[in-house]
Formats: sequence, structure tokens, C-alpha cells
Amino acid sequence: MSVSVVSYGVYLPYLRLKREEYISAWGSCSAEIKEKTVMDVDEDVLTMAVAAAKDALEHIEAEQVSVLALASTSFPYQEKVMAGTIMEALGLPSDVLATHHGHSTLAGTEALLTACSLLAQAGGKYALVVVSDAPSASTAQDIEHSLGAAACAFVLAKEEPGLVLEGAYGYVSEVMGVRYRQAGERGIRDIGVRSFAAQAYTRAVEAAVTGLLKKLECSSEAYRHVVLHYYDLRTTASLGKRLGFSEEQLKGGLVYERIGDTGACSTLLGLCQTMENISPGDRVLVCAYGAGSGSQAVGFVLEQEKPACKTPLSVLLEKKRYISYTHYLKLKGVI
Amino acid sequence: MGAHISIPMYQRAIPQRYRLVGQKCVKCGKVNFPPKAVCKYCLSSAEFAPVKLSGRGTVYSYTVIAGGGAPPEFAEIARCKGRYPVALVQLEEGPVIIAQLVDVPEEEEIFIGMPVEAVFRKIYEEEGVIRYGIKFRPA
Amino acid sequence: MEGVAIIGAGQTRYGDFPEKGLKELFAEAYFEMLASVDRGFDPQLIQAAYIGCLSAGSGFQLGQLAPLLMGHVGLPHVYAVRVENACASGGYALYNAACAIASGKFNFVLAAGVEKMRDVSSTKGRYWLGISGDTEYERLAGLTFAGIYALMATRYMHEYGLKREHLAMVAVKNHRHAVANPKAQFRQEITLERALSGPPVAYPFTVWDCSPTSDGAAVVLLCNAKLAKSFTDRPVYLAGFGAASDYLAVHDRHTITSLHATRKAAAEAYKQAGIGPGDIDFAEVHDCFTIAEIMAYSDLGFCEEGQAHRLLEEGVTQLGGRRPVNVSGGLKAKGHPIGATGCGMAYEIFRQLRGEAREPSRQIPNARFALSHNVGGSGGTAAVFIYRRGD
Ligand SMILES: [Zn+2]
Repeated sequence: MSVSVVSYGVYLPYLRLKREEYISAWGSCSAEIKEKTVMDVDEDVLTMAVAAAKDALEHIEAEQVSVLALASTSFPYQEKVMAGTIMEALGLPSDVLATHHGHSTLAGTEALLTACSLLAQAGGKYALVVVSDAPSASTAQDIEHSLGAAACAFVLAKEEPGLVLEGAYGYVSEVMGVRYRQAGERGIRDIGVRSFAAQAYTRAVEAAVTGLLKKLECSSEAYRHVVLHYYDLRTTASLGKRLGFSEEQLKGGLVYERIGDTGACSTLLGLCQTMENISPGDRVLVCAYGAGSGSQAVGFVLEQEKPACKTPLSVLLEKKRYISYTHYLKLKGVI
Repeated sequence: MGAHISIPMYQRAIPQRYRLVGQKCVKCGKVNFPPKAVCKYCLSSAEFAPVKLSGRGTVYSYTVIAGGGAPPEFAEIARCKGRYPVALVQLEEGPVIIAQLVDVPEEEEIFIGMPVEAVFRKIYEEEGVIRYGIKFRPA
Repeated sequence: MEGVAIIGAGQTRYGDFPEKGLKELFAEAYFEMLASVDRGFDPQLIQAAYIGCLSAGSGFQLGQLAPLLMGHVGLPHVYAVRVENACASGGYALYNAACAIASGKFNFVLAAGVEKMRDVSSTKGRYWLGISGDTEYERLAGLTFAGIYALMATRYMHEYGLKREHLAMVAVKNHRHAVANPKAQFRQEITLERALSGPPVAYPFTVWDCSPTSDGAAVVLLCNAKLAKSFTDRPVYLAGFGAASDYLAVHDRHTITSLHATRKAAAEAYKQAGIGPGDIDFAEVHDCFTIAEIMAYSDLGFCEEGQAHRLLEEGVTQLGGRRPVNVSGGLKAKGHPIGATGCGMAYEIFRQLRGEAREPSRQIPNARFALSHNVGGSGGTAAVFIYRRGD
């Protein structure tokens, strides 16, 4: 059975914080961003999830959705079936098979792969994958500078043209990686050991990508677009090069510098970006990474039609209002 | 100290609050929102069919609430935004509903007749439970 | 139907009285009322009391407030009931008291109102101010009454070319009127510039477009018109009284530039009195926000809809004008102790029609008919009364 993405939706909050705001407040900005997205006071990952999913369902009958996979590292509740909020807001059937994913930035691809498998079990036509994230950290930490907010949603269908999922390859290891969050805490923490963390990232992504290429019997040139989980400019670029990907292949999914680190959403947002420049027959590879550590690589090929999208990412990137760092601190509840 | 609306009371209204489910009067065909026991147009029918409203409409009137004009449960929003716009929105299907406006570039640019569309947002929080609902943004 | 007369009235000054609670405020107005009956009055004659109050002192006595207050003034056994319709609580107390006399059931009835608003934090105060709209919808959109009336004002400006200056003119006029009123909360003039540049509350309103929170009480003594002359040679007759409701939430109404409840209540009162708006010499109208007075002009028939601001431009409604409105200072400057307001209007009119406005500068000469208009919330309820000088 083939499963394909037939439509998708993206959501970026309207508010933006510029790099310069960090520089004037702290003297420097530790993230390689030009600007980043910021949720308004009345937004959270569930409201962003609904916004992205609504767009993805623009031409889909909500009653036909039988699987709902929801992913975020920043759910507003630690315990609650949050699929209920999404189900009611979108008018999905209440017998939808729902899953929640959230313990690392791998949650996005986890949700996507889970939905693929569940779609085979479920009677209905579609699976809805919603990935929405807004990681947070203490504003006193460097790691905080990069943290943005976004959501994306994908409608998967059985045996339909679209972005067909060709295969996936996973990797896990017991290596701390760059960040973690203890139970009961709201903010992520940096382990603070630079090269060790970078090496953990490189190894995990390398393992998943090479594993997938081997499994699918593809060479690195087979892919029009490759989206690797963004670590930092230098580390991600040198990893891409080591894996045999060209700058041309890697640049189509780079969204980090105008949105920031969106946790579980990061690589899938990159996938959405590549959809704006893709033709039938093109292959796309995405590889997500979660510190702790693990990675998941997923390969796609576009068959016939591009997945439908109401408002593409390039349009959303231009809809914005800049806020001051003071306003940002108010939104973060710091002042 | 907020206006106390219990968790069960809020949740009984979830379909209308989360996705604008209104009632179409079987007698006169007009759409009531929020729901009534007797149609507010023909004042005679008590039979309705549920209808999901599009969420598209235009601003019928508006105001911009400053911190001092906000009810206590909206104090946090007022504190963050300084002020926030609230509008009466006339929906395509007829009903007028009252809600906050978000993602407005400048409050001075709001005008009567401005096209808007519904968005799903946090309304406020009470008893540790987030109350979600509909707001509007420029379309 | 029996005729209804007012033979006595009392009112505390409105304002901020840290040393007085609900009971003390009520008693003060009650004793002034007793003293105002020209030939004296034995309180034991009182058969019933309708007492308007919204918050019952921020909720400490939501149950059975009326018997508590009547017991406090030595009338523990009369029929007593609290009447609540938000800012129209006092007006509805007066309306119910008038109906009780008109029905023939009672001959002597108290209509009263009292509110203690200044004992609480501003957060708690705003809780009470926003509790009488449609809580599930208006309140949850982030509005208190200032915001709801602001929606009406914005629409009125759009439809009729009203300017913010016209709103400010109401505030300036009513503040000027209050200067000479010893019972008023704010007895100082404000300039148009000041009214326009005050701190914003809800566009298009500044603080000067909004009535204050106040402590205060008012008590009116009604009696069967046939008996009035044994207590005074100068009773004031309630020639007509009407009350009506509307959808509580503004989003349910067919228009927001007019209050349907006011129109219906006014029609009922005019019909009963057998007179029209042109016969009214002066009026106390519900100006909780400046736009409310502007809407009241046309809703009460003083002008065509949408023409109300012309009356302000021409000075028709100021003291000395053709039909003065809110010579007491109105809710805006006299103050607005919610439950007391409707009865406080009757107090002002009782004094004016009897030539007892205290300060000669604010006495309206030769007035025969007056009107009072009391609105609940944003127009969910309204009561209108027409008074006739009894000579
Ligand atoms: Zn009907």
C-alpha cells in the first residue's frame, strides 16, 4: 500500500523578533537567525496546530479523517488528550485514532511515520499529521535566542498521487546530545559541551541518512531536495557535504534563519518549503534529529500532482509585525 | 477575580466556541448564533438544524480596549499588548458575533466593513484550564 | 388604576465614603426622605419597600438584602424585596413600587436604591462592572460596559457623522451642571480639550466619557395620589411609567445605535401620561457613557434618530437651554452608584419640580413635566418615568 501527502498547511505566528533586538539587549545574538517567529499572548501549540491543520484540510472532508497524529515538545498540558481540542476545532469524527508525540524533536517524523502505519489499520480515507512547536528556555540562556514557533500539517492518503512516502530509517543511541528538559520543567537546557554534542548530532543524522539511502538503493544525487535537521550553519553544512549532498540540494529546505528553531517542526517545515519548488518525479529526503539521541530519515517522491496548499510558507514569511525585546519578554512572562 | 464560568459550562458550548456551529431555523431559514431556544428572527420556531459557519465576515463595529477597560481575566492580554481591539463581526451567513481582533498591523487601520476571518485562539484561563475559542484576523 | 404620587425623597451625596457602608448610606437617604415630607410622615404607614441594588456590597449580602436594610431603619416587618436589573435596579424598584400603588394593593411604598462600590480593589470593581452583560459572550470577548458602549459609539459615528467632540460635549455639559449640585460626586468643570485628551479606556472613549464608580443611596416615598395632599400641598405625580427589555447581548440586536428597551419604555410612559416628548420641560437621562445620553435624545423622542448631536451643538440640553438634560450632573458627574441611580433621578426631579434645587443657579424655572430614564447594562432593560408637578 502506498501512502502519500495530498495536501499540507503551514502556520507562522504573525509576530517576529529581529536578531538586532538580541544584540541591543545582550550585546550579541547566539543564534544564526535574521529574525524569528513569536507566538502572541493568546497562542499556544494547539492554536497553531489548528491553524495549520485547517489550511491542510481546505479541500478535504473532515469526516473522512480517521487518524490524527499530533506532535510537539511544548504541549500546554503534560497530561491531557490534546487531540480532543484539535478534533473539536476542526470538526473531525470523534472515532479518529489519535496519537500524541512529544518527548524530543523527533516527534514530528514520529507522528508522520505513525500516521502512515495507522492509516493501514483505519477504515477512513485520510490521516492528519499535525506538528506544532514552540520550544522555550530561560531567557538568560544562549540557547533561547534561536527558539521560534511554527506549525505544519499534512494530510496523508492511501493510493493517491502526491508526495509518496518511499521509506524511512531510524537510529537511536544513548548520547546526551545538545539539549534536554527534565520532568516538570518548562525550559530546555543546554548540556554545554559543544563538540561532544555536535558529534552526537552528526553521527545520528549520518546513520539514518546513509541507512535510508542503502535501504532504498538510492545515491545521494537521486534527491532534488535534502532537509537535514538544522544544528548550526557550519555543522549542518559540513555534515551535508560529508553525506555527498550539494549546496543546491540542501538550500531548498532551509527555513531556520527567518523562523528560528521550531523543535519538532523544524525539518517538516523545511519539507513544506521544498514543495514550492518541486516537479513530478523529484525526490525529497528529510532527516529529523532529537537530542538524547536519535534520528529518523524519510524519503519521498513526487508522483503527478504537488500536494495542495492554501497559503505557502513563502507568503507567510512576509505576513508579520516586528516586536521589541521588551514586548517579547512580556510574552514570555519574564516581565 | 474573573467572571466565573465553570469547566462544564464552557465545554457544553464547545461546538459553537471552537468551530462556530450555529442553528438554521427550519421555519424561516435564518441562522441563529449563538444558539437560542426560539428563533430570534421569526420568534416562533424552536426547530433548528446545525450549520457550520464559514467564519468569514466584515467588521460591523469595533473598539480598542485599553488596560483600564479590560475585565480582570483579560488583564494579562492587556498587559502584554497594551491594548486590544474587539469587534462586532457580521458573518457571511447573517449573525453578528463579538470577538477580539488579532494580527492587526495597526489599530488605526481597523475600519467598519473590513473583511475578517475566524481564527482559533486562547480566550482566557480559569481554574488552570485554557479556554479556547474564536477570534478574528484581517482576511 | 390608582394614581401614584411622590411625597418625599432623600439622597446621600454620591461619591467615595470610606466611613459608610450599605446600611449607613441607606439610612442617611431614608431619614432625609422622612424629613422632606412637608407635614411629616409616620414611617409605620410604610407597607412595602422595593430596593434596587446590584452587588449587595460586593456580594456580602446577595440574599435578603432588603429586609436587612428595612430592619436597620426600624421597619423589620414590611414587605421588602431587592430588585436587580444592573444599572436600572433603582428604576425597576421605582417601577415596581409604582405598580404596587397603582394596583391598589398598597397605599405607601418605598422605592429605594443603594450601592457600595468604593470598598473594593479596582480589579474586583471591574469584575462587578462587567457582570451584567452577556457573560458568556460579551465578557469573554474581553469587554466591560465601557467596551460595549464604545462599540455603539463607533457605529454611531460611522452612521451619523458623530465626532469624538460631540461625546466630549456631553461630559463637559454634565460636569458643568454638577458644579452647583451639592449631592454630586464631581463638582468641577472640565474643558473640551481635557475631555478629549484623557487616558483612553475603550476607543473612542477616554475616562471622561465614562461615569465613575460611586457609593450612594436614594429613597423615594410613593403614595396613592388620592392621599397625597394630606402630607403635602406640593406632591409630584408619576403621570406615566414604562419599562421594557431587549436582548442582553449587543450582537443579538437589530441595531446598536438605538436602545429598543428605551423606546418601548418611553412609548408606554408617554401613553400613560397622555403627553408627548415635546411636553417634557427637562430630563434626567442615563449617561453612563457619553454615547448613552446621545442615543437617549432620539430614543426618548427629543429629536430624530441620528440628529442627537445637533442638540448638543445648539445648546438645547444645557441648563438654560430649551430642554435641559441632566442638570444634576448626570451619572457622569453626579455619580453612578449603580442600584441608587434610578431613584436618585427621581429625587432630583422631585426637588426641581417643587422649586427646591437648593442652588438658585441650577433651578429650572416653571417646569411642569419632567422625565427620567434609567438603563440596565447596555440596554438589556430600561425604565422611563414621566413626572407632573402637582399643583
Ligand atoms: Zn426562524
